[in-house]
Amino acid sequence: MKARQFIALSCIVLLPAMAYAGAAQKPILDSYLAAAKAENAAFSGFSAERGKAFFLAKHEASADTPSCTTCHTSDPTKAGQTRAGKDVAPMAVSKTPDRFTDAEKVEKWFTRNCQSVIGRACTAQEKGDFITFMSSL
Amino acid sequence: MKKIIGIGAFSLLILGASLALVGPGNSALPQVEPAYVKECGACHIPYPAQYLPKRSWERILGSLDKHFGENATLSPKALQPIKAYLDSHAADSAAGNPRIMRDVAVNNTPLRIVEMPFWIHIHHKQIERKAFDAPKVKSAGNCAACHKGAANGRFGDDD
Repeated sequence: MKARQFIALSCIVLLPAMAYAGAAQKPILDSYLAAAKAENAAFSGFSAERGKAFFLAKHEASADTPSCTTCHTSDPTKAGQTRAGKDVAPMAVSKTPDRFTDAEKVEKWFTRNCQSVIGRACTAQEKGDFITFMSSL
Repeated sequence: MKKIIGIGAFSLLILGASLALVGPGNSALPQVEPAYVKECGACHIPYPAQYLPKRSWERILGSLDKHFGENATLSPKALQPIKAYLDSHAADSAAGNPRIMRDVAVNNTPLRIVEMPFWIHIHHKQIERKAFDAPKVKSAGNCAACHKGAANGRFGDDD
């Protein structure tokens, strides 16, 4: 009985804590989820692995910014630097908890950086994968 | 009598101190538009409006989709206060400084402060060009690499 009570208590205490990592990002992720389903009927959910590959990929659209890592470095838990020399806070949600919580800001930077780096707009799936990867670190 | 001399000397001291504060190099800068600091200052220091003419700022704001190799577009709503601020504080505006416009040809629209004759005169008189290519500096446009007060508009020799 005591063990059961302990497990029940642990669940009550721990669950909200576990859900917390990413809870603040959920509204934005949900809106990309709806958009991804609309884009592709076969869409089955976001993937941190795909997000990681996307983040590290090299593109041909720009010699100045061939990859997300040009400014963000290949380690999202570390601070990056813009080409003009200004620090960029880490992209990992564990390091910068207010990442992906302001929809307008998120869209502004995806719009700019997808055009700069890839030369086209990102799909909702790419955005969702990216946020899922950044929330997993 | 002594008291009057004392007051006179004190007044001169205050006057001198006030003049020193508004002297060149560390002049008190006008209040910077918060939207300009937030949006433009996200990637680089909010470059002083008074270091480029109006026509330069106009061209920069009109080509943000191709901004020195990056897409830096802003919504019309976000752009509006920035445009108004740069226009009213540019080198050739009422709030500007005629010395900054010296030697800028009327048909020249510099897109970088480092192309402005005043900047070249101050920097390349004493500093070797290769110093600006050092990894810690990255580019001459990274004012804050040397001027620690750059983000707050201070560019004196000691800043």
